[in-house]
Amino acid sequence: MKAMYLVNYFVAGCIASSLLGWIASLHPMSFRAIAFLLAAVAVAWVMCWLLDFSLSQTLKISVPQLQALLVSILAVLLIGLGVFVCT
Amino acid sequence: MHLKMFVLSASAVALWLAPLSALDKKVGWHKAVQGVSLCAGIACAIKAGRIAYKLSEDAEIEVVKERAITADVVDEIATSAYVSQQQRQQEAELMLASPGLDVEAGRKSLEAMYDNDLQDSVSASDNSDYLVYLEVCKSMEAGKSNTWIVENIFKMGGRKFADGKAKLETLLQQFEGEQK
Repeated sequence: MKAMYLVNYFVAGCIASSLLGWIASLHPMSFRAIAFLLAAVAVAWVMCWLLDFSLSQTLKISVPQLQALLVSILAVLLIGLGVFVCT
Repeated sequence: MHLKMFVLSASAVALWLAPLSALDKKVGWHKAVQGVSLCAGIACAIKAGRIAYKLSEDAEIEVVKERAITADVVDEIATSAYVSQQQRQQEAELMLASPGLDVEAGRKSLEAMYDNDLQDSVSASDNSDYLVYLEVCKSMEAGKSNTWIVENIFKMGGRKFADGKAKLETLLQQFEGEQK
């Protein structure tokens, strides 16, 4: 059941990133806003990788768990935006 | 609960993929439909995730309960084994502490106890009569008359009074004879 719980939240993340792509497709201004948001997320993602040890202590999770979370965030964004762009 | 979760998961995936791939882009309202279905898909996925989390927590609680019951049973077995071990040890210590006792005498005393037990089990049917006899003796010591005893202890008043009196005499003869 824990796997189903994780899969469902993963799917929710994928749909949310597709929704971001849909918002970006509505208007050029919204596209810029979403591009800025994605750039900020990318910077935060890289910072999280660089500061993984201190972040894991702050969030009270282990370093492998934090790394798995970061990888899954990247996968969610790629899959969601990829599905939206390809369709 | 499981069915609801699976249905919600499947509908979330369907709401995510179907409008994006199947909807004709020439239709004017396809953008709106896409947005609505994506929002609905997110809601379904989050709801399914919550249900799955609740189910996983319930399963964990069940596992903990089973572990606690198993540990309880194991503890009970271990305690009983420990107690019987201690009893055996105490008996052995007692035997070692009194080496002067004759083994043959011990055997005979055990045999006598065993025989008594057998006799007791044979005369188990007389126990109820003996209890009645004890009650009769108590009443007699309290100064009650034979009539009172027959009516109140044997419950044989009226027409049965003669039978009750005979029974009282039989009972007294039986147990007083045994005591002599």
